[in-house]
Amino acid sequence: MPQITVEELAALMKKAAGVTVSPQQLMEKPETGFDVLGVDSLGLLGIVGELENTHGTPMPVDAERCKTPQQFLNLVNTTLMAGA
Amino acid sequence: MSEPKDRHAAVTGIGVVAPNGTSTDTFWKATQEGLSVLDRVTREGCEHLPLKVAGEVRAFDPAATIEERFLVQTDRFTHYAMAAADFALEDARLGQASIPDAPYSIGVVTAAGSGGGEFGQRELQQLWGKGSRFVGPYQSIAWFYAASTGQVSIRRGFKGPCSVVASDEAGGLDALAHAARAVRRGTDVIVAGSTEAPLAPYSMVCQLGYAELSREPDPTRAYRPFTQGACGFVPGEGGAMLVVESADAARERGADIRALVAGHGATFTGASRWTESREGLAHAIGQALSEAGCAPEEIDVVFADALGVPEADRAEALALADALGEHATRVPVTAPKTGIGRGYCAAPVLDTAAAVLAMEHGLIPPTPNVFDVCHDLDLVTGSARAAEPRTALVLSRGLMGSNSALVLRRGNAG
Repeated sequence: MPQITVEELAALMKKAAGVTVSPQQLMEKPETGFDVLGVDSLGLLGIVGELENTHGTPMPVDAERCKTPQQFLNLVNTTLMAGA
Repeated sequence: MSEPKDRHAAVTGIGVVAPNGTSTDTFWKATQEGLSVLDRVTREGCEHLPLKVAGEVRAFDPAATIEERFLVQTDRFTHYAMAAADFALEDARLGQASIPDAPYSIGVVTAAGSGGGEFGQRELQQLWGKGSRFVGPYQSIAWFYAASTGQVSIRRGFKGPCSVVASDEAGGLDALAHAARAVRRGTDVIVAGSTEAPLAPYSMVCQLGYAELSREPDPTRAYRPFTQGACGFVPGEGGAMLVVESADAARERGADIRALVAGHGATFTGASRWTESREGLAHAIGQALSEAGCAPEEIDVVFADALGVPEADRAEALALADALGEHATRVPVTAPKTGIGRGYCAAPVLDTAAAVLAMEHGLIPPTPNVFDVCHDLDLVTGSARAAEPRTALVLSRGLMGSNSALVLRRGNAG
Protein backbone atom coordinates (compact mmCIF):
# COMPACT_ATOMS: atom_id res chain seq x y z
CA MET A 1 0.00 0.00 0.00
CA PRO A 2 1.32 3.48 -0.82
CA GLN A 3 2.13 5.66 2.16
CA ILE A 4 0.34 8.91 2.89
CA THR A 5 2.58 11.87 2.31
CA VAL A 6 2.52 15.31 3.89
CA GLU A 7 1.45 16.61 0.48
CA GLU A 8 -1.61 14.38 0.52
CA LEU A 9 -2.45 15.33 4.10
CA ALA A 10 -2.11 19.04 3.34
CA ALA A 11 -4.43 18.68 0.34
CA LEU A 12 -7.00 16.81 2.43
CA MET A 13 -6.85 19.41 5.21
CA LYS A 14 -7.73 21.99 2.59
CA LYS A 15 -10.49 19.93 1.00
CA ALA A 16 -12.17 18.48 4.09
CA ALA A 17 -11.56 21.19 6.66
CA GLY A 18 -10.86 24.37 4.67
CA VAL A 19 -7.46 24.76 6.32
CA THR A 20 -4.59 25.98 4.18
CA VAL A 21 -1.24 24.63 5.32
CA SER A 22 1.79 23.88 3.15
CA PRO A 23 3.48 20.44 3.09
CA GLN A 24 6.65 22.26 4.21
CA GLN A 25 4.91 23.54 7.32
CA LEU A 26 3.64 20.06 8.12
CA MET A 27 7.14 18.67 7.59
CA GLU A 28 8.91 21.32 9.67
CA LYS A 29 6.45 21.41 12.56
CA PRO A 30 4.69 18.03 12.56
CA GLU A 31 3.84 18.33 16.25
CA THR A 32 1.69 21.45 15.84
CA GLY A 33 -1.76 20.37 17.01
CA PHE A 34 -4.68 20.00 14.62
CA ASP A 35 -6.58 22.37 16.92
CA VAL A 36 -3.94 25.06 16.47
CA LEU A 37 -4.01 24.52 12.71
CA GLY A 38 -7.81 24.95 12.75
CA VAL A 39 -8.88 21.35 12.10
CA ASP A 40 -11.62 20.36 14.54
CA SER A 41 -12.77 16.81 15.31
CA LEU A 42 -15.32 16.77 12.48
CA GLY A 43 -12.67 18.04 10.10
CA LEU A 44 -10.34 15.21 11.06
CA LEU A 45 -13.18 12.73 10.70
CA GLY A 46 -13.71 14.08 7.18
CA ILE A 47 -10.01 13.61 6.37
CA VAL A 48 -10.17 9.99 7.59
CA GLY A 49 -13.28 9.38 5.46
CA GLU A 50 -11.57 10.77 2.37
CA LEU A 51 -8.52 8.56 2.96
CA GLU A 52 -10.67 5.47 3.41
CA ASN A 53 -12.50 6.22 0.17
CA THR A 54 -9.38 6.89 -1.90
CA HIS A 55 -7.35 3.99 -0.48
CA GLY A 56 -10.26 1.60 -0.27
CA THR A 57 -9.30 0.43 3.19
CA PRO A 58 -10.60 1.24 6.68
CA MET A 59 -8.43 3.38 8.93
CA PRO A 60 -7.95 2.55 12.62
CA VAL A 61 -10.59 4.07 14.92
CA ASP A 62 -7.88 6.00 16.74
CA ALA A 63 -7.01 7.91 13.55
CA GLU A 64 -9.71 10.50 14.16
CA ARG A 65 -8.47 11.00 17.73
CA CYS A 66 -4.90 11.95 16.77
CA LYS A 67 -3.83 15.33 18.07
CA THR A 68 -1.09 16.18 15.57
CA PRO A 69 -0.24 15.53 11.91
CA GLN A 70 2.83 13.57 13.10
CA GLN A 71 0.72 11.19 15.23
CA PHE A 72 -1.80 10.87 12.45
CA LEU A 73 0.72 10.04 9.71
CA ASN A 74 2.55 7.55 11.94
CA LEU A 75 -0.65 5.70 12.83
CA VAL A 76 -2.17 5.72 9.37
CA ASN A 77 1.03 4.74 7.58
CA THR A 78 1.71 1.94 10.04
CA THR A 79 -1.76 0.61 9.30
CA LEU A 80 -1.32 0.89 5.53
CA MET A 81 2.07 -0.83 5.77
CA ALA A 82 0.59 -3.72 7.77
CA GLY A 83 -2.20 -4.09 5.23
CA ALA A 84 0.23 -4.17 2.30
CA MET B 1 -36.93 35.57 40.24
CA SER B 2 -38.38 38.69 38.64
CA GLU B 3 -36.42 40.50 35.99
CA PRO B 4 -34.89 43.77 37.08
CA LYS B 5 -36.71 46.54 35.23
CA ASP B 6 -33.85 48.99 34.90
CA ARG B 7 -31.87 46.91 32.43
CA HIS B 8 -33.38 48.21 29.20
CA ALA B 9 -32.42 46.29 26.07
CA ALA B 10 -30.98 48.59 23.45
CA VAL B 11 -30.12 48.06 19.79
CA THR B 12 -26.56 49.29 19.34
CA GLY B 13 -25.56 47.66 16.06
CA ILE B 14 -27.17 46.55 12.81
CA GLY B 15 -25.71 44.12 10.26
CA VAL B 16 -27.55 43.37 7.03
CA VAL B 17 -27.04 40.98 4.13
CA ALA B 18 -30.15 41.47 2.00
CA PRO B 19 -31.22 41.09 -1.63
CA ASN B 20 -31.19 44.90 -2.01
CA GLY B 21 -27.92 45.52 -0.19
CA THR B 22 -25.10 43.63 1.48
CA SER B 23 -24.36 46.38 3.98
CA THR B 24 -26.67 48.34 6.25
CA ASP B 25 -26.06 51.52 4.25
CA THR B 26 -26.87 50.02 0.85
CA PHE B 27 -29.88 48.20 2.32
CA TRP B 28 -31.27 51.41 3.75
CA LYS B 29 -30.62 53.40 0.60
CA ALA B 30 -32.48 50.86 -1.55
CA THR B 31 -35.23 50.46 1.06
CA GLN B 32 -35.97 54.15 1.43
CA GLU B 33 -35.93 54.58 -2.34
CA GLY B 34 -38.51 51.83 -2.63
CA LEU B 35 -36.38 49.89 -5.06
CA SER B 36 -37.70 46.43 -5.91
CA VAL B 37 -35.08 43.79 -6.60
CA LEU B 38 -37.51 40.90 -7.02
CA ASP B 39 -36.45 39.02 -10.11
CA ARG B 40 -36.51 35.69 -11.87
CA VAL B 41 -34.83 32.92 -9.88
CA THR B 42 -31.37 32.27 -11.30
CA ARG B 43 -30.00 29.66 -8.86
CA GLU B 44 -28.66 26.56 -10.52
CA GLY B 45 -31.11 23.68 -10.60
CA CYS B 46 -34.14 25.88 -9.91
CA GLU B 47 -34.96 27.04 -13.44
CA HIS B 48 -37.62 24.42 -14.10
CA LEU B 49 -39.54 24.90 -10.85
CA PRO B 50 -42.95 26.61 -10.84
CA LEU B 51 -41.65 29.21 -8.35
CA LYS B 52 -40.28 31.81 -10.74
CA VAL B 53 -39.71 35.00 -8.73
CA ALA B 54 -37.69 35.57 -5.56
CA GLY B 55 -35.41 38.02 -3.82
CA GLU B 56 -31.89 36.65 -4.34
CA VAL B 57 -28.79 37.99 -2.62
CA ARG B 58 -26.48 38.46 -5.59
CA ALA B 59 -23.80 40.87 -4.43
CA PHE B 60 -22.34 38.88 -1.56
CA ASP B 61 -18.94 37.20 -1.59
CA PRO B 62 -18.68 35.07 1.56
CA ALA B 63 -14.94 34.51 1.08
CA ALA B 64 -14.36 38.25 1.40
CA THR B 65 -15.34 38.23 5.08
CA ILE B 66 -15.33 34.64 6.34
CA GLU B 67 -12.41 32.26 6.80
CA GLU B 68 -12.40 29.22 4.52
CA ARG B 69 -12.53 26.73 7.35
CA PHE B 70 -15.85 28.21 8.48
CA LEU B 71 -17.14 28.31 4.91
CA VAL B 72 -16.58 24.59 4.27
CA GLN B 73 -18.39 23.70 7.50
CA THR B 74 -21.51 25.73 6.86
CA ASP B 75 -24.42 26.41 4.55
CA ARG B 76 -25.16 29.67 2.78
CA PHE B 77 -27.65 30.70 5.52
CA THR B 78 -24.86 30.55 8.08
CA HIS B 79 -22.50 32.46 5.77
CA TYR B 80 -25.07 35.26 5.81
CA ALA B 81 -25.33 35.01 9.60
CA MET B 82 -21.59 35.15 10.22
CA ALA B 83 -21.19 38.14 7.91
CA ALA B 84 -24.22 39.99 9.30
CA ALA B 85 -23.00 39.35 12.86
CA ASP B 86 -19.58 40.79 11.94
CA PHE B 87 -21.22 43.87 10.40
CA ALA B 88 -23.48 44.37 13.43
CA LEU B 89 -20.62 44.05 15.92
CA GLU B 90 -18.49 46.43 13.89
CA ASP B 91 -21.42 48.85 13.71
CA ALA B 92 -21.74 48.63 17.51
CA ARG B 93 -17.99 49.16 17.83
CA LEU B 94 -17.55 45.82 19.54
CA GLY B 95 -14.42 44.61 17.78
CA GLN B 96 -12.47 41.40 18.23
CA ALA B 97 -10.26 43.13 20.77
CA SER B 98 -13.04 43.95 23.20
CA ILE B 99 -14.29 40.37 23.52
CA PRO B 100 -11.47 38.20 24.96
CA ASP B 101 -11.72 39.90 28.37
CA ALA B 102 -15.31 38.93 28.90
CA PRO B 103 -16.46 36.12 26.60
CA TYR B 104 -19.29 35.17 28.96
CA SER B 105 -20.88 38.59 28.65
CA ILE B 106 -21.84 38.02 25.00
CA GLY B 107 -24.30 35.45 23.65
CA VAL B 108 -26.07 34.66 20.39
CA VAL B 109 -29.75 34.07 19.56
CA THR B 110 -30.98 33.22 16.08
CA ALA B 111 -34.14 31.92 14.48
CA ALA B 112 -34.30 29.90 11.29
CA GLY B 113 -37.05 28.23 9.36
CA SER B 114 -35.36 26.92 6.26
CA GLY B 115 -32.02 25.68 7.63
CA GLY B 116 -29.10 24.62 5.47
CA GLY B 117 -30.99 23.08 2.56
CA GLU B 118 -28.32 23.61 -0.06
CA PHE B 119 -25.57 21.95 2.00
CA GLY B 120 -27.94 19.17 3.03
CA GLN B 121 -28.98 18.47 -0.54
CA ARG B 122 -25.37 18.14 -1.65
CA GLU B 123 -24.58 15.62 1.07
CA LEU B 124 -27.80 13.66 0.55
CA GLN B 125 -26.91 13.39 -3.12
CA GLN B 126 -23.57 11.92 -2.04
CA LEU B 127 -25.42 9.49 0.21
CA TRP B 128 -27.78 8.17 -2.45
CA GLY B 129 -25.37 8.60 -5.35
CA LYS B 130 -22.21 7.08 -3.86
CA GLY B 131 -22.96 5.78 -0.38
CA SER B 132 -22.79 6.79 3.27
CA ARG B 133 -18.98 6.81 3.29
CA PHE B 134 -19.05 9.80 0.96
CA VAL B 135 -21.14 12.03 3.24
CA GLY B 136 -18.98 14.68 4.90
CA PRO B 137 -19.12 14.90 8.71
CA TYR B 138 -20.14 18.58 8.65
CA GLN B 139 -23.54 17.46 7.36
CA SER B 140 -24.22 16.67 11.02
CA ILE B 141 -24.29 20.37 11.87
CA ALA B 142 -24.52 22.48 8.70
CA TRP B 143 -28.11 21.74 7.62
CA PHE B 144 -29.44 22.17 11.14
CA TYR B 145 -31.46 25.31 11.87
CA ALA B 146 -29.32 25.86 15.00
CA ALA B 147 -26.08 26.04 12.99
CA SER B 148 -25.88 29.82 12.78
CA THR B 149 -26.05 30.39 16.52
CA GLY B 150 -23.37 27.74 17.03
CA GLN B 151 -21.01 28.92 14.33
CA VAL B 152 -21.30 32.63 15.16
CA SER B 153 -20.53 31.91 18.82
CA ILE B 154 -17.64 29.55 18.02
CA ARG B 155 -16.11 31.82 15.41
CA ARG B 156 -16.26 34.93 17.57
CA GLY B 157 -15.53 33.19 20.88
CA PHE B 158 -18.81 34.15 22.56
CA LYS B 159 -19.56 32.05 25.63
CA GLY B 160 -22.62 33.85 27.00
CA PRO B 161 -26.16 32.46 26.73
CA CYS B 162 -26.74 31.03 23.26
CA SER B 163 -30.04 29.80 21.93
CA VAL B 164 -32.17 29.19 18.88
CA VAL B 165 -35.82 30.07 18.56
CA ALA B 166 -37.92 27.68 16.49
CA SER B 167 -41.28 29.39 16.19
CA ASP B 168 -41.97 29.80 12.52
CA GLU B 169 -41.39 33.06 10.65
CA ALA B 170 -42.48 35.09 13.67
CA GLY B 171 -39.45 33.51 15.35
CA GLY B 172 -37.39 36.36 13.95
CA LEU B 173 -39.15 38.75 16.33
CA ASP B 174 -39.23 36.17 19.10
CA ALA B 175 -35.42 35.87 18.84
CA LEU B 176 -35.06 39.62 19.36
CA ALA B 177 -37.42 39.45 22.33
CA HIS B 178 -35.48 36.51 23.73
CA ALA B 179 -32.28 38.54 23.38
CA ALA B 180 -33.89 41.44 25.22
CA ARG B 181 -34.91 39.12 28.05
CA ALA B 182 -31.37 37.70 28.31
CA VAL B 183 -30.07 41.26 28.57
CA ARG B 184 -32.61 42.10 31.28
CA ARG B 185 -31.47 39.00 33.16
CA GLY B 186 -27.90 40.20 33.23
CA THR B 187 -26.05 39.43 29.98
CA ASP B 188 -24.41 42.55 28.57
CA VAL B 189 -24.70 41.78 24.86
CA ILE B 190 -26.65 39.38 22.66
CA VAL B 191 -26.05 39.16 18.92
CA ALA B 192 -29.55 38.35 17.70
CA GLY B 193 -31.41 37.95 14.47
CA SER B 194 -32.04 35.64 11.59
CA THR B 195 -30.73 34.83 8.14
CA GLU B 196 -32.19 32.36 5.68
CA ALA B 197 -31.16 30.77 2.38
CA PRO B 198 -34.28 29.06 1.01
CA LEU B 199 -33.38 29.55 -2.65
CA ALA B 200 -31.84 26.21 -3.63
CA PRO B 201 -33.51 23.27 -5.40
CA TYR B 202 -34.37 21.11 -2.38
CA SER B 203 -35.45 24.08 -0.25
CA MET B 204 -37.56 25.48 -3.05
CA VAL B 205 -39.31 22.18 -3.65
CA CYS B 206 -40.16 22.12 0.06
CA GLN B 207 -41.93 25.46 -0.35
CA LEU B 208 -43.96 24.45 -3.37
CA GLY B 209 -46.59 22.91 -1.10
CA TYR B 210 -47.43 26.29 0.46
CA ALA B 211 -50.75 27.52 -0.88
CA GLU B 212 -49.62 31.06 0.05
CA LEU B 213 -46.63 31.02 -2.32
CA SER B 214 -46.93 33.30 -5.35
CA ARG B 215 -46.57 31.56 -8.71
CA GLU B 216 -46.78 34.81 -10.66
CA PRO B 217 -43.83 35.03 -13.08
CA ASP B 218 -43.89 38.84 -13.43
CA PRO B 219 -41.65 40.32 -10.70
CA THR B 220 -43.67 43.55 -10.57
CA ARG B 221 -46.93 41.68 -9.92
CA ALA B 222 -45.78 38.67 -7.90
CA TYR B 223 -45.99 40.15 -4.39
CA ARG B 224 -48.61 42.85 -3.91
CA PRO B 225 -50.17 42.62 -0.44
CA PHE B 226 -53.16 44.77 0.52
CA THR B 227 -54.24 45.10 -3.13
CA GLN B 228 -56.88 43.41 -5.30
CA GLY B 229 -53.95 41.84 -7.14
CA ALA B 230 -52.62 40.03 -4.05
CA CYS B 231 -51.63 36.55 -5.20
CA GLY B 232 -49.37 35.27 -2.43
CA PHE B 233 -45.88 36.02 -1.22
CA VAL B 234 -42.47 35.87 -2.85
CA PRO B 235 -39.65 34.27 -0.86
CA GLY B 236 -36.39 36.06 -0.21
CA GLU B 237 -33.04 35.26 1.37
CA GLY B 238 -30.38 36.92 3.51
CA GLY B 239 -31.32 38.65 6.73
CA ALA B 240 -30.01 40.74 9.57
CA MET B 241 -28.28 40.44 12.90
CA LEU B 242 -28.61 43.09 15.59
CA VAL B 243 -26.51 43.83 18.62
CA VAL B 244 -28.93 43.90 21.55
CA GLU B 245 -27.18 45.34 24.55
CA SER B 246 -27.98 46.47 28.05
CA ALA B 247 -28.58 50.21 27.82
CA ASP B 248 -26.37 50.70 30.87
CA ALA B 249 -23.48 48.75 29.34
CA ALA B 250 -23.87 50.73 26.11
CA ARG B 251 -23.79 54.05 27.94
CA GLU B 252 -20.80 52.96 29.97
CA ARG B 253 -18.73 52.30 26.86
CA GLY B 254 -20.08 55.38 25.09
CA ALA B 255 -22.01 53.49 22.43
CA ASP B 256 -25.03 54.99 20.67
CA ILE B 257 -28.39 53.63 21.73
CA ARG B 258 -30.08 53.29 18.36
CA ALA B 259 -33.40 52.00 19.70
CA LEU B 260 -34.92 50.23 22.68
CA VAL B 261 -36.64 46.86 22.44
CA ALA B 262 -39.64 47.99 24.45
CA GLY B 263 -42.29 45.29 24.17
CA HIS B 264 -43.14 41.95 22.61
CA GLY B 265 -46.09 39.64 22.36
CA ALA B 266 -46.55 36.25 20.71
CA THR B 267 -49.56 34.03 20.05
CA PHE B 268 -50.42 30.94 18.02
CA THR B 269 -53.53 30.44 15.92
CA GLY B 270 -52.78 27.42 13.72
CA ALA B 271 -51.28 26.75 10.29
CA SER B 272 -52.77 28.78 7.42
CA ARG B 273 -55.76 29.79 9.55
CA TRP B 274 -55.53 33.37 8.39
CA THR B 275 -58.98 34.51 9.50
CA GLU B 276 -58.09 33.38 13.03
CA SER B 277 -54.74 35.17 12.82
CA ARG B 278 -56.70 38.43 13.27
CA GLU B 279 -57.41 37.61 16.89
CA GLY B 280 -53.93 36.18 17.48
CA LEU B 281 -52.13 39.14 15.98
CA ALA B 282 -54.34 41.63 17.83
CA HIS B 283 -53.52 39.88 21.11
CA ALA B 284 -49.81 39.89 20.31
CA ILE B 285 -49.97 43.63 19.59
CA GLY B 286 -51.85 44.18 22.85
CA GLN B 287 -49.23 42.27 24.81
CA ALA B 288 -46.39 44.17 23.15
CA LEU B 289 -48.02 47.55 23.84
CA SER B 290 -48.69 46.57 27.42
CA GLU B 291 -45.12 45.42 28.04
CA ALA B 292 -43.83 48.63 26.46
CA GLY B 293 -46.22 50.78 28.50
CA CYS B 294 -47.29 52.24 25.18
CA ALA B 295 -50.69 53.66 24.23
CA PRO B 296 -51.97 52.77 20.72
CA GLU B 297 -51.75 56.43 19.67
CA GLU B 298 -48.04 56.45 20.41
CA ILE B 299 -47.31 54.04 17.54
CA ASP B 300 -45.87 56.21 14.77
CA VAL B 301 -45.27 53.54 12.15
CA VAL B 302 -46.24 49.91 11.55
CA PHE B 303 -44.08 47.46 9.62
CA ALA B 304 -46.72 45.02 8.46
CA ASP B 305 -46.46 41.28 8.03
CA ALA B 306 -48.05 41.77 4.58
CA LEU B 307 -48.44 38.17 3.47
CA GLY B 308 -50.10 39.03 0.18
CA VAL B 309 -52.95 36.55 0.59
CA PRO B 310 -56.30 38.41 0.55
CA GLU B 311 -57.70 36.61 3.60
CA ALA B 312 -54.47 37.17 5.56
CA ASP B 313 -54.16 40.82 4.51
CA ARG B 314 -57.75 41.45 5.66
CA ALA B 315 -57.02 39.73 8.98
CA GLU B 316 -53.95 41.89 9.51
CA ALA B 317 -55.80 45.13 8.74
CA LEU B 318 -58.58 44.08 11.14
CA ALA B 319 -56.07 43.05 13.82
CA LEU B 320 -54.57 46.54 13.65
CA ALA B 321 -58.05 48.03 13.99
CA ASP B 322 -58.81 45.73 16.94
CA ALA B 323 -55.56 46.57 18.73
CA LEU B 324 -55.07 50.24 17.84
CA GLY B 325 -58.67 51.37 17.45
CA GLU B 326 -59.20 54.50 15.31
CA HIS B 327 -55.46 55.06 15.24
CA ALA B 328 -55.16 52.04 12.91
CA THR B 329 -56.53 54.05 9.98
CA ARG B 330 -54.21 57.01 10.65
CA VAL B 331 -50.86 55.43 11.48
CA PRO B 332 -48.52 55.03 8.51
CA VAL B 333 -48.10 51.36 7.59
CA THR B 334 -45.34 50.02 5.38
CA ALA B 335 -44.09 46.71 4.02
CA PRO B 336 -40.67 47.16 2.42
CA LYS B 337 -40.40 43.38 2.06
CA THR B 338 -42.44 43.62 -1.15
CA GLY B 339 -39.21 44.83 -2.76
CA ILE B 340 -36.93 42.07 -1.47
CA GLY B 341 -39.18 39.11 -0.76
CA ARG B 342 -40.14 37.43 2.41
CA GLY B 343 -37.11 35.82 3.98
CA TYR B 344 -39.08 33.65 6.39
CA CYS B 345 -37.65 34.21 9.93
CA ALA B 346 -35.29 36.83 8.53
CA ALA B 347 -38.11 39.00 7.16
CA PRO B 348 -39.23 40.55 10.46
CA VAL B 349 -35.60 41.08 11.52
CA LEU B 350 -34.94 43.03 8.32
CA ASP B 351 -38.14 44.96 9.10
CA THR B 352 -36.82 45.67 12.58
CA ALA B 353 -33.54 46.93 11.09
CA ALA B 354 -35.54 49.12 8.71
CA ALA B 355 -37.69 50.37 11.60
CA VAL B 356 -34.63 51.46 13.58
CA LEU B 357 -33.19 53.16 10.50
CA ALA B 358 -36.54 54.81 9.75
CA MET B 359 -36.62 56.31 13.26
CA GLU B 360 -33.02 57.51 12.89
CA HIS B 361 -33.52 59.04 9.46
CA GLY B 362 -37.02 60.44 10.02
CA LEU B 363 -38.23 58.66 6.92
CA ILE B 364 -40.80 55.91 6.44
CA PRO B 365 -39.80 53.71 3.51
CA PRO B 366 -42.46 52.79 0.95
CA THR B 367 -44.00 49.46 -0.11
CA PRO B 368 -42.58 48.66 -3.57
CA ASN B 369 -44.92 47.42 -6.32
CA VAL B 370 -48.00 48.33 -4.27
CA PHE B 371 -50.14 51.32 -5.36
CA ASP B 372 -53.82 50.39 -5.21
CA VAL B 373 -54.53 49.63 -1.55
CA CYS B 374 -57.93 48.03 -0.91
CA HIS B 375 -57.93 48.14 2.89
CA ASP B 376 -58.58 50.94 5.36
CA LEU B 377 -54.90 51.49 6.04
CA ASP B 378 -52.56 54.39 5.38
CA LEU B 379 -50.05 52.27 3.50
CA VAL B 380 -46.95 54.21 2.46
CA THR B 381 -46.55 53.67 -1.29
CA GLY B 382 -44.55 55.23 -4.08
CA SER B 383 -41.86 57.15 -2.23
CA ALA B 384 -40.65 57.44 1.33
CA ARG B 385 -42.60 59.70 3.65
CA ALA B 386 -40.88 62.23 5.89
CA ALA B 387 -41.96 61.77 9.49
CA GLU B 388 -40.52 61.70 12.96
CA PRO B 389 -41.35 58.25 14.19
CA ARG B 390 -40.42 57.70 17.81
CA THR B 391 -42.15 54.38 18.29
CA ALA B 392 -42.44 51.56 15.77
CA LEU B 393 -44.53 48.39 15.72
CA VAL B 394 -43.20 45.41 13.74
CA LEU B 395 -45.54 42.52 12.94
CA SER B 396 -44.88 39.00 11.77
CA ARG B 397 -46.91 35.88 11.15
CA GLY B 398 -45.73 32.45 10.15
CA LEU B 399 -47.29 30.02 7.71
CA MET B 400 -47.52 27.53 10.55
CA GLY B 401 -49.57 29.83 12.78
CA SER B 402 -47.27 31.98 14.92
CA ASN B 403 -48.07 35.66 15.38
CA SER B 404 -45.67 38.17 16.94
CA ALA B 405 -45.47 41.88 17.56
CA LEU B 406 -42.49 43.95 18.64
CA VAL B 407 -42.50 47.56 19.87
CA LEU B 408 -39.34 49.62 19.39
CA ARG B 409 -38.63 53.05 20.82
CA ARG B 410 -36.22 55.48 19.24
CA GLY B 411 -32.84 55.74 20.93
CA ASN B 412 -30.72 58.79 21.53
CA ALA B 413 -28.60 58.58 18.39
CA GLY B 414 -30.99 60.14 15.89
